[in-house]
Amino acid sequence: MTSKDAGSTSGSIKIGVLYSRSGVTSAAETAQLQATILAVEEINRAGGVLDREIELVCLDPQCQPRNYADLAEQLILKHRVRLIVGCYMSSTRKAVIPIVERHNALLFYATPYEGFEYSRNVIYTGAAPNQNTLPLAGFMLTHYGSRVSMIGSDYICPYESNRVMSDLILERGGEKLDETYLPLDARWESYLDVAKRIRQLSPDFIFSTVVGEGIPHLYRAFAHVGLDPYRMPIASHMTSEAEIAIMGNDVAEGHITSAAYFQTVDTAANRLAVARYQARFGDDQTTNMCWEAAYFQMHLLVDAIRRVGSDDPTLLLRVLPGLEYQAPQGRVRIDEYNNHTYLHPLIGRVNTQGRFDVIGRAPERVKADPYVVSHTTPRWTSEARPDLERTGGDR
Amino acid sequence: MKSTAATPSILRDLRSLKVVVIHPQDQDGDELLAQLQRIGCDVEVFWPRLDCLPANTGLVLMAVRPETLSMNFPWLGSSTSPPVIPVVTYENPITIEAVLQLNAFSTIPSPVRSFGLLTAIAVALTQFKASRMRDRYIDRLEQKQAKVRVIQQAKQIVMDTRGVSEEQAYQMLRAQAMLKREQIETVAGEIVKARETLSF
Repeated sequence: MTSKDAGSTSGSIKIGVLYSRSGVTSAAETAQLQATILAVEEINRAGGVLDREIELVCLDPQCQPRNYADLAEQLILKHRVRLIVGCYMSSTRKAVIPIVERHNALLFYATPYEGFEYSRNVIYTGAAPNQNTLPLAGFMLTHYGSRVSMIGSDYICPYESNRVMSDLILERGGEKLDETYLPLDARWESYLDVAKRIRQLSPDFIFSTVVGEGIPHLYRAFAHVGLDPYRMPIASHMTSEAEIAIMGNDVAEGHITSAAYFQTVDTAANRLAVARYQARFGDDQTTNMCWEAAYFQMHLLVDAIRRVGSDDPTLLLRVLPGLEYQAPQGRVRIDEYNNHTYLHPLIGRVNTQGRFDVIGRAPERVKADPYVVSHTTPRWTSEARPDLERTGGDR
Repeated sequence: MKSTAATPSILRDLRSLKVVVIHPQDQDGDELLAQLQRIGCDVEVFWPRLDCLPANTGLVLMAVRPETLSMNFPWLGSSTSPPVIPVVTYENPITIEAVLQLNAFSTIPSPVRSFGLLTAIAVALTQFKASRMRDRYIDRLEQKQAKVRVIQQAKQIVMDTRGVSEEQAYQMLRAQAMLKREQIETVAGEIVKARETLSF
């Protein structure tokens, strides 16, 4: 193999990046892109890896699944890249998997998804349902009740999350009052109709699996019809600081999210990473669960390159399983058998500053179990004694 | 998508499913085992022989390749044997014939990939269960059909020999059955048999 064929045996090590800068989920993907850039700049400033710099080849798929596949192929064939970070919605990941498998490339995927997947050529650093949906369900069904309204974006991940939630509601003798799916590009009026229906049904809480631009619409509609998040919160595993920045702190306050990371996580690694991020991209920049996974996966990848002395995917796959990293959320680990990541599940509630107060946390990191069908909620979620009283002034 | 239905019990019970894998330890075997463990099944691997299935085996995954064609698995094809999913390396008529012999509802192609195994298992278990229920239903129907036929014959004999109506003949059979504390088809069977004995 000549050095040209190998792509990057000398000079820089190239890594492909597929995050969208426009389109329905671009807010979260832009944060992932910037997290990737931050991590690479940290690595290069510290001397790179194997005495070489990391060079990112960033292409913009504009949230279209076909573009992700085409651009993944372009990264591999034209830019001679075999390491790719990116994808957001499941449809985009599914489009890229056949490409990375055919060319024996590696995809690092930093977004929570619905599970039931394992590809040798994918490392999954976002949460599986047992790490976010399940803690959220346990927490909400225990502390708020089991009469639930469900609202989601019309695609696969929400269906699967709602299946898990529905089973758990039924097991507890609860009631699914409503299950609505709106198109990814649904307008504000549709969310307003949903909010009005929710007000009539008066559930114990709302389980939202809305993604992207719909999230601010939903929360605004909820506030618009005068619902009180402290009495009837929206619970989500996708709503993050990125969407709160768009909808506004006053609209987000009191609602609940489950994730393995919030910007407020109190670790040294997080304080440093957030400070560097804001110094690089601006004081107003927020971080979130997808940002953090995109950030630490780059460090994990480069650590693996260092360990094997190569950027060859086959060699990297010998060390990536079992590899650990001191991430902003705490110590994470890639599972030896399923390529998913041990994470630290948290339950957070938005405070007046638009940041998450942690009101529940797993006692230790949790192994991803992407193929679990029949769920039982973790004990810590029902044993948690959260202070759910309203903080700050009445609105 | 209108509304999520409750999760099917076959999927809910996967974690307690006992799976027997009859496959050599090669790349396919490793991938098969790893994916079954990710799914969370209780797996045991055997190769090359397995003369007696472990208790409570709910599913068998079996390599079907040239060297297995001559193997004999005595537990196969009995009314109590579990569903079999063949893992197929060749697509020639000989191998396909061997696959058909297994009455499989789904197959796993080689090289084995992680993707597809869960669906193959779900389809095999569901269709196997449905097929078992259909078989039992057919058995019951056949038995019932046989009874109806014997009663019909006996009624005809009574009608002919006693010169009574069909309804009266039936009431006589019923009365006899009650008297002897027997099923009506038993009495009917005796009558039909006696008639056959006499008709030489």
